[in-house]
Amino acid sequence: MDPVKTPLGKMLLEEITPVVMVLRTPLVEESCLKNSLSFIEMLSPFCDFNNIDVPVRTSSDQPYRLQKFKLRLFYESDIKQPNIMVAKERLKQVITEAGEKDRSDLSTDPPDISNVLESSKSEISPSWFEIFNKELVRTVSFSEHEAFDHPVACVSVVSSKDEQPINKFVDLFNTNKLPSLLNDGAMDPKILKHYVLVHDNKDGPSEKATKILTEMKNTFGFNGCHLLCINSSQDEQIEHQDNPWAPYKFDSSPSQHLGRYLNIYDFNEIKDLIQELSSKHIIPYMEQKVRVLNQQVSATRKGFRNQIKNLWWRKGKEDTPDSSNGSMYTYSSVESQIRVLGDYAFMLGDYELALSNYRLVSTDYKIDKAWKCYAGVQEMMGLTYFMLDQSRKEAEYCMENAFNTYLKLGSSGRQNATRCGLWWIEMLKTKDQFKEAASVYFRICSEELLHSAVMLEQASYCYLLSQPPMLHKYGFHLVLSGDRYKKCDQIKHAIRTYRNAVSVYKGTPWSYIKDHVHFHIGQCYGFLGMYDVGVTHMLEVLACSHQSKATQELFLRDFLQIVQKAGKTFEVLRLQLPVINISSLKIDFEDHRTYASPGSTSVKESVWCSLEEEMIPSLPTARTNWLELQSKLLPKYKESNICVAGEAIKIAIEFKNPLEIPISISSVSLICELSATSDETNSDVSCSTSGIGNNEEHKNLREIISDTSSFSLSEVNISLGGGEAYLVQLTVTPKVEGILNIVGVRWNLSGSVVGFYSFGANYGKKKIAKGRRKAKQSPGNCLKFMVIKSLPKLEGFIRALPEKAYAGHLQHLVLELRNQSEFSVKNLKMKTSHPRFLNIGKQEDLDLEFPACLEKKTNVSPPANPKIASNGVFLFPEDLSVQGENLLLWPLWFRAAVPGNISLQVVIYYEMGDLSSGMRYRTLRMHYNLQVLPSLDVSFKISPYPSRLQEFLVHMDIVNKTDSESIQVNQLSTIGSQWEISLLQPIDAIFPSQSLIAGQAFSCFFVLKSCRKSSSTEESTSSLFPHIGSNVSLVPDGSKGAPFDTSNSPLADFHDCERLQHGISNQEAENSVDFILISRPLKNNAQPGVSDAHHVFSHHACHCRQEYTKLLIIISVYSTASTSPVSWVVDAPRTRHHDFSTTSFCEINFRMTIYNSSNARASIVMKTLDSTSISDQLRDETSGNQVGWHDVSLAKDNKMESDALRNHVRKSLLPESVSAFIWSGSSSTRVQLKPLSTTEIPLQICVFSPGIYDLSNYVLNWNLQPVDDHEKVGERIQSSGTSLGYPCYLTVLPSD
Amino acid sequence: MTTTACFIIVSRNDIPIYEAEVGSATKREDAAQTHQFILHAALDIVQDHAWTTSAMYLKAIDRFNDLVVSVYVTAGHILCVFLNSYTQHILFGAYITLLNPLYLPGSRIASSHFDTKVRALARKYL
Repeated sequence: MDPVKTPLGKMLLEEITPVVMVLRTPLVEESCLKNSLSFIEMLSPFCDFNNIDVPVRTSSDQPYRLQKFKLRLFYESDIKQPNIMVAKERLKQVITEAGEKDRSDLSTDPPDISNVLESSKSEISPSWFEIFNKELVRTVSFSEHEAFDHPVACVSVVSSKDEQPINKFVDLFNTNKLPSLLNDGAMDPKILKHYVLVHDNKDGPSEKATKILTEMKNTFGFNGCHLLCINSSQDEQIEHQDNPWAPYKFDSSPSQHLGRYLNIYDFNEIKDLIQELSSKHIIPYMEQKVRVLNQQVSATRKGFRNQIKNLWWRKGKEDTPDSSNGSMYTYSSVESQIRVLGDYAFMLGDYELALSNYRLVSTDYKIDKAWKCYAGVQEMMGLTYFMLDQSRKEAEYCMENAFNTYLKLGSSGRQNATRCGLWWIEMLKTKDQFKEAASVYFRICSEELLHSAVMLEQASYCYLLSQPPMLHKYGFHLVLSGDRYKKCDQIKHAIRTYRNAVSVYKGTPWSYIKDHVHFHIGQCYGFLGMYDVGVTHMLEVLACSHQSKATQELFLRDFLQIVQKAGKTFEVLRLQLPVINISSLKIDFEDHRTYASPGSTSVKESVWCSLEEEMIPSLPTARTNWLELQSKLLPKYKESNICVAGEAIKIAIEFKNPLEIPISISSVSLICELSATSDETNSDVSCSTSGIGNNEEHKNLREIISDTSSFSLSEVNISLGGGEAYLVQLTVTPKVEGILNIVGVRWNLSGSVVGFYSFGANYGKKKIAKGRRKAKQSPGNCLKFMVIKSLPKLEGFIRALPEKAYAGHLQHLVLELRNQSEFSVKNLKMKTSHPRFLNIGKQEDLDLEFPACLEKKTNVSPPANPKIASNGVFLFPEDLSVQGENLLLWPLWFRAAVPGNISLQVVIYYEMGDLSSGMRYRTLRMHYNLQVLPSLDVSFKISPYPSRLQEFLVHMDIVNKTDSESIQVNQLSTIGSQWEISLLQPIDAIFPSQSLIAGQAFSCFFVLKSCRKSSSTEESTSSLFPHIGSNVSLVPDGSKGAPFDTSNSPLADFHDCERLQHGISNQEAENSVDFILISRPLKNNAQPGVSDAHHVFSHHACHCRQEYTKLLIIISVYSTASTSPVSWVVDAPRTRHHDFSTTSFCEINFRMTIYNSSNARASIVMKTLDSTSISDQLRDETSGNQVGWHDVSLAKDNKMESDALRNHVRKSLLPESVSAFIWSGSSSTRVQLKPLSTTEIPLQICVFSPGIYDLSNYVLNWNLQPVDDHEKVGERIQSSGTSLGYPCYLTVLPSD
Repeated sequence: MTTTACFIIVSRNDIPIYEAEVGSATKREDAAQTHQFILHAALDIVQDHAWTTSAMYLKAIDRFNDLVVSVYVTAGHILCVFLNSYTQHILFGAYITLLNPLYLPGSRIASSHFDTKVRALARKYL
């Protein structure tokens, strides 16, 4: 590529051209100003020759033709180094103007990065950079060390109106006014002089001017004088097509008519003047000078001899200090002359000559350490190499060398370095080395922000243009630049750069970068008053949880400021603050299932379903009524949820504040849409909302919001602290029938920004919180409801249900039901999940006084059979209906059965009185959570009473497990008419304090007596009164009122529940005993006023039964009938004195009493054994029966222990201490026993020596024969069995 | 001596999966932001270099003022980008983590154990 045609080549041909100094009188300027132009401005358009075609001959003898030539005209006052401050101002002005001229629409969305990459070079970087760079280059013009800015010629201009024009010409050359360059000797003051007389044709004919011209020619010589007539246009103003002056006038405005009095004659005259000046005067003068200088330089410096001499001479000057400026070289010095020669040759296009001279002088400067001059020459060498298009490497090396040398000079070289850098960059750009160019741009950034902002922006475009495009760097430099622009208040530039950066960083996961870009561009838009765009950018940074607290505050504050300045409420789709946790969305609605309290909805649907199973009509019957009705009405919306007009749908959704600073949110409400049933198209439209674009969606939402007549919404105001999450409860209450669609949620952030959130798009895969038709439910439909006609709804709660209770706590509660509508409901049914805890009372219980009602009454009436259907469903009286303001109160009994956390559910079913309504029945679901604390830990051990048949010893252990309560134990009752219980010792003796403080344990013994009779009449009464039992008062008589009645409701009911819980039927109760322990906590001293009379604990130690499988073990020393159908007692004396000296053996008679406790006839065979081995064998067999699962009763530990002990005792005792004895009499006795009867068998043994004898080696085989056929076959009574004897020690002592 | 340093692991597609501001210099408010910018910009250079050299460790690949960027390119083209610190030990730890077969490409490293380890190494070697 021809270097001349490159941007740098063009720039050099414009910038490095001969300078002409212009001296003029004020009158000249005045004439020119009529055209709104200065003299120089008037001439400027004609100074640029693209095709001057002048032959030039420099050093060589071969002339060449110069095509492009340009003169630069300057007034004498401008020929000086520009003031830095002025230059800065000028640059700033350029930037500001460019910013204002920037026509691109700032408010549009940033371009997509792929589009940016495709656009051409010229589109990418703004055009004003060229102007800026030119200005920047000009800030360092007219420096002393460079000769190309030194004036080549001087034109003095005098007006024909001036008095004594010849003298004026002379005066103009008064040295006081001449630039310092000429005066200090930096350049040759003898320069080419040219004299021009300007005549304004408006002032009159040009005769006078011609006269002066002749005079001038006489005075200054013929060649150097000219007459220039201007303003030839007399009257009319000339409108110039393509005004040639426009590009030269920076602050031109269309209203000014530049050159309005200059007609075509003036044009030609100016043109001719300049043409002549250039071709006839300046170029020949320069040629001449080049030739002269070249000869001089050749004579002094060229050739080997001169070089050696030069070196030698310079060696001597080595000690001179570093000279930072070129002042040490005057125009007459060889170095300056070489430099001038080089520059002239360069300007005349003889680059070879220029290069050789630059090379020559650069070594000189280097040796002299004249760094500035050296850098300047290096710079020119680089440019010359470039223009020669020879060695790229050399060119770049020179440029870099120059650049670095300038930088080394510090502040004085700074601007030169900038210019050098710009040229270098252009050079690199020409060779497509954009990456390197960018790095140079980066290097010429100075401390001055505005300057570096422009440079960084240019650097960023270089990165974009490099191959492959370096987008990361592009973005980074844009941001760097934008940041500086912003600091310099160049907001428009800042926006431009940041906008480009936004397109780079769109959707970046680099959080800090994203925040920075959006925040700053948002701020910039805010400064410019483009609040809408500003807000959209600011929205991006709101959820900046990764930032520090201070930054978060800053972001939020600025955001709100912009919003406030905008002065309107913004409506923002998907506002990021606060964060909405869509997965927390929970919808509670009531179709036929209604809920008493919000907590009820948290219970699993399956729990409710299993409870309701028994109550609600089965599916086929249901089909015939409302479901079918519904499907007939609305075949299309079969799968949508159903809700009732006038009843609220509750939506819970979590709002989370991601920031560390508190935010306030107001007017949180749902966005809903309620369409009439027939309007199907509308609902279809809303279904497709999620699919369409943001704007449309937004519009759609707004439309939806405007229509709120058919439903009412709740509004919530919340304030979220840092990092806080809050579950917002929202409701929508439809007022009319139709299809209700919950579209989303809206809220107001800090009173100024309205955020929307659409559920539809985000809720796709979520399961619905409720509803059973999950399988066929399409995703969005869980937010869609079919609203049906308003229905009666029952509301209910249980009054005063405690949240915390001690185990056994008994309380009388009232269920309150209310129906707000005027329609009645009927067929109420009720079921509780834990009948052990909550028992439904009778209507007459309502006004009972508690706990007095528990006390035993004198007249015991049989309890009325409560209307409890199968599976514990309670049916309310059929005539009952709840309506209007009437309350339905129903008593409940509450008893905390077991410790732990209990979730208690109650379901009430009711049917609509009005059959025409959409639903036939509804259910009310109530849910309560209870915490039951342990109170008394009661355990019982039952062992047969020694030596008595049908009596047992009951060992009761009580431990007070409460934390602080003292508990008084009132009463122990047994359940069932066959048991009688009494204290073993008077209560005063064993339990004087009568109360248990926390942690205290207490044990107590009772005697339990079985009083079963085999009469059939009694059995019938006992089934009628299953709960009649006997009581033992554990408080001294008279201190409290009547004993508590355990045979009546509610205690009896709870007892039944307990039995059910343990899976025991009433029929099995024969050989088991149930205890009820009644206690009450004592009055707390701290609260003397509180009466504890209402706290009654009842402990159902249900079923301390003795199992047949534990038969062997339960039998201890004294057998009782209750352990097996057959029990016996060996009534033997404990000790016997016998005089073995008189009789060698002793006969001992004793009896065995056998009792048949079963309802069957028993045939019993009693065998005596003389060998112990048999008994062992038998015992092994029986113990083998115990293998496997068996019921663990309270007495188990004891039994095991005794079993083991017995084994041990037997084995150890038998061989040694127990002497042998023999049974006398028959070895086998058979008896027949009627049910519940006793018999006695006489027995006799013989002993032969004193000792201790174990009378246990006998076996009882029993066999039951049912009395009648009515006995149930499935009864778990063993029909036969074998019992081993139990140890009974007899001590025989020798008597004296 | 106070140093400022930053360590970021970048997954493919320029997604940062782990960031740690280490170094003993007092935290400046915008340090994290500046570091992100510098490291993000350096990725251009890395992409140039990564395919032209067989070395995995690219020392001082880019610089911004006095902040030097070094990169360790793993086989999976996951980049460990360092600012002002090139401790092989950190690299090792990072490398081990990235070898984890359970690591899902592109997901963030959220392990606190990894974080403490990196910081401990940084304290030791900076």
